[in-house]
Amino acid sequence: MHMTETARRMWKKLTWTWSPGSEKEAGDAVVKNMLLHWFPNKVSISSMSWSYSMWLGTVSFVLFLILCGTGLVLMFLYVPSVERAYSSVKDIEFVVSFGWLLRSMHRISAHLMVASVFLHMVRVFLTGAYKNGTAAGANRPLNWIVGLTLLVLTLLLSFTGYLLPWDQLAYWAITVGTNIARSAPVVGEWMRFVLLGGTTIDQGTLIRFYVLHVFFLPVIVLFLFAYHMWRVRKDGGLAVVDKEDLNRTAVPADPVKSKTYSLLGITNGTSVHVQTKVVEDESTTVTSSPHLLRRILLVSLLTFAVVVLLSVVFPAPLEAPANPSVTPNPAKAPWYFLWLQEIVTVTTVTIGSFTINGALIGGILLPGALLALAVWWPYRDKSGPGSVGVWLSPERKRQNMVFIVICVVILLFTVVGTFLRGPYWNLYWPWESWPDMPVKF
Amino acid sequence: MKLFNLTKTTEAGEKNDEGRRGFLQKLGLGALLTSLAGVAYQSFRSLIPNVLYEPDQRFKLGLPANLPEGITFLDDRRLYVFKEGKSFYAISGACTHLGCTVKYAKLAQPRTVEVNGTQATIGFEFHCPCHGSKFTSDGTNYAGPAPRPLHWYRLELSPDDGQLIADLGQEVDQGFRLTV
Repeated sequence: MHMTETARRMWKKLTWTWSPGSEKEAGDAVVKNMLLHWFPNKVSISSMSWSYSMWLGTVSFVLFLILCGTGLVLMFLYVPSVERAYSSVKDIEFVVSFGWLLRSMHRISAHLMVASVFLHMVRVFLTGAYKNGTAAGANRPLNWIVGLTLLVLTLLLSFTGYLLPWDQLAYWAITVGTNIARSAPVVGEWMRFVLLGGTTIDQGTLIRFYVLHVFFLPVIVLFLFAYHMWRVRKDGGLAVVDKEDLNRTAVPADPVKSKTYSLLGITNGTSVHVQTKVVEDESTTVTSSPHLLRRILLVSLLTFAVVVLLSVVFPAPLEAPANPSVTPNPAKAPWYFLWLQEIVTVTTVTIGSFTINGALIGGILLPGALLALAVWWPYRDKSGPGSVGVWLSPERKRQNMVFIVICVVILLFTVVGTFLRGPYWNLYWPWESWPDMPVKF
Repeated sequence: MKLFNLTKTTEAGEKNDEGRRGFLQKLGLGALLTSLAGVAYQSFRSLIPNVLYEPDQRFKLGLPANLPEGITFLDDRRLYVFKEGKSFYAISGACTHLGCTVKYAKLAQPRTVEVNGTQATIGFEFHCPCHGSKFTSDGTNYAGPAPRPLHWYRLELSPDDGQLIADLGQEVDQGFRLTV
């Protein structure tokens, strides 16, 4: 009892400069507390709904934190050299206490993060949440683009991590991936040279991918994530709040100057105004602490539990050491790139005597076009304010259909590539056994 | 009058001063940006290797007589070397689609294909495990996404010790044969 009291006091001393004596002071306290300052003072109940956002953004960030935590420990154990990388991963797997769990959690979290960031994007699209609502100075389309960038960075992070174990799986996935870069016109060969640090996948490549994976890309993600969250706040919160706002205008009510902040106590008077109709409404809002905090902690706990469970059930594989002279049959890219591998298989086009490598169409032009389409989409979406923050709004029916079809095609290709492709990229049913293939001829 | 002139001089001086200040500001900012660009270029350029510690593109394969008749695969070079009596040729094992190593596939039944306008019976092919491209025995792509035939590389004899030399830097036509 005494100990916990001491700990409580220590904690208070570390995180508070002052503690509240009244409700009003408690509200002010939110601004003054380092942790609570992350959240708005109050939050609308609807934006905490499970069914609206499914908390996929939070899940993604929790996964990112797990990846940082497990990754940090793995950095102490892994040696990024061609001679020792494989054996250090093997040691992590079989010698280091709980090494297998760390590696498995890192891998599962990475896979789940690709999935959750993708699903987060699907959710934002289908709820029309990239559209501006009533908040002044909102720029949700920009935040959608930031989100797309984060999706690409997530894929790159996963891809760079793929090479590090230096096993057959790693080596050939990176071979296929970097040869796609080579098929870009004019600069392709040069791009691959810079990416690999030479003409073959070797020490230069390993250290490049390592530094990108453990420092460069995560730092960019952190900065962009901070901006992403800041924009959510400045754009008026989740889009569902705008929807609520719209419904409310049926009952005429003037916007109130709900709050006046002085600029962090530096300026005199009331320089920053927050005008909103929702914040003060007791029936639609709750205080962020503890309600929002509690839910975030719950989502974090659930995410963590799922990661640990899956890590135990699906241990991370480690194939034979990388061998440049033997291509495994079939050789597959990471699952989230298998839809692209399916496409590069079928997109080599011959016009007369002129042949275009499928890698250029399927590996660069098509994904580039899809990304450009996604960036451009919010700016051409002219649906009304009634379709902001609503699942499958009837007004956006056609564009939702197009989006869903694209997603389903991508998922279908992914499933075919993952489960139905066997030796020489032939189709096999999952219950069919693959013919025996000689490792060499 | 004198006072007026003085004021005017001062104003002009101030104007000059501002012009000077503006110029120096731009100069400073320009210098800063230029040096930043320089550092950025330097950093990036340092990442482009000037020396590659990779194996030589030209290498010796041993004496022609020691090479077994038929087909030999050189693991570390991903090169198929063929010996047909006195003639030799070499075909790259790297798929022209995305660079996987193509595999030698013996056909259960030899088939007849048209190669350069002439009919030829072939007993084997090259198959790529990554995306299922197929090549006939001379490296011509006939199925799958591979956009080009497999590369053929020059073989020559070393003048000093008579060993076979393969040169991965020199591509040759499909008809190439080194006769010893």
